Amino acid sequence: MPIKWILHWQPNAGTTVNSQILAEVSQCAEGINGIKEGRWKATISFYRAMTREQANANEFPRDFLGISLAEQPGKYYLVLKGQRLVVEAESSIQMIMEKLQSYKTRVALNFEGNQYQLGDFQLRVGKVAPMQSESLRGIVMEMEYLPISSWEKSHQIMGEFFDLWQEALSKRSLPGHFVHIEPNFSEFGLSDQYTSQHTAVQYASIMAQMIATAQSVQPVRN
Amino acid sequence: MECVVQGIIETQHVEALEILLQGLCGVHRERLRIHELCLKSGPNLGLVASEVRLLCDLEQTEPTWTVRHIGGAMRGAGAEQLSVLVRTLAESKVSKNALRLFYSLGYKLDHELLRVGFAFHFQRGAQITVTVSSVNKMLKLHATDEAVPVTPGIQLVEVTAPASSENYTEVVAAVSSFCEYLAPLLHLSKPGVSTGVVPTAAAAAASLMSDGDEDGDGKEVVWHILLSCGLLQY
Repeated sequence: MPIKWILHWQPNAGTTVNSQILAEVSQCAEGINGIKEGRWKATISFYRAMTREQANANEFPRDFLGISLAEQPGKYYLVLKGQRLVVEAESSIQMIMEKLQSYKTRVALNFEGNQYQLGDFQLRVGKVAPMQSESLRGIVMEMEYLPISSWEKSHQIMGEFFDLWQEALSKRSLPGHFVHIEPNFSEFGLSDQYTSQHTAVQYASIMAQMIATAQSVQPVRN
Repeated sequence: MECVVQGIIETQHVEALEILLQGLCGVHRERLRIHELCLKSGPNLGLVASEVRLLCDLEQTEPTWTVRHIGGAMRGAGAEQLSVLVRTLAESKVSKNALRLFYSLGYKLDHELLRVGFAFHFQRGAQITVTVSSVNKMLKLHATDEAVPVTPGIQLVEVTAPASSENYTEVVAAVSSFCEYLAPLLHLSKPGVSTGVVPTAAAAAASLMSDGDEDGDGKEVVWHILLSCGLLQY
């Protein structure tokens, strides 16, 4: 399948993300002749162990994510980033997790927005908001290059396109920039040939980054 | 949800059962070699203890993994009167590293089994699956090549059919009625309700294995046995 980079918006120090920035980013995609093609959506759930005693909670992973992707509607991805583990399952695994009553969803975030076609590239710009809430928590962008499925071979053209995008966006003098994190896919047992599991790992990586950014801006609550 | 009944049969009569099933179902059997790992939640995990099964179909060229959760059986006076157990069941195909995931989440291996045998899948009032398998245990962890039978000389027969809360009564009826055809060879009952082997098995098996089958598809002997048991009439 075509490779993609998942990027997230890193606000400048002292600033936060807002809907005006999202609107400007979307306009920028249209400004470089991106043709709007409809909507896309992904969802990430944060699972937390259910324990009889709170003190035991630390025995269990705190970075357990469940991810559903628009590109694979019947599938669900379970990621333990600390353990470098990604599992692909059918969507029914969510029902099994519920029935086990050992982990529960603490927070679920929606990633949704518009999709744009630019020749062989597809851009998806979206807002990050908690489920059942409109409050904007971040901005993400999927940058997909349709002709290539090798992560390694696509690196140069993706880098060049990303530079062009950054240049176009810089004209708008926005208080921040998009960041690309490149996970070490081989640590997750993933090969150079791109799959939806690579997408899930990228989402898990940007989540870790977004949480770290949020915590550096706001004092951590106990 | 699924409807399920189980029974046991002596290995010496399995060939006869296969002929009977072949004749009744009109489909070919599929070979079965399933590695089943039963995982249980560790002592501190979950508000209640939980159990999940990982199944790996070793018959496939590329082994495929499934997570299975068997829920509680339907309760109440109505459910007790049914001859078939109705229970919740959830399954999800997963990538091969699912065992590592469950270990990381705090689940521990309780036991593992290897089921070797065959299955018939067919439509008969419901989508019925009959599996006939010998249940083996591993002497060493995951050593499926060195598995030994748990009950030598005895095989497990399971009849299952997927159901929903809307149609389970029809599915129960379809499973019950199919089980009657197997009655000469084995008795099927709700899991956990052991009824042992049936006394007519040897005679029924001998009849099935006799030379009455001209084309080898088992149909003639199936008719014969059904007639002799009063399940069919001229």
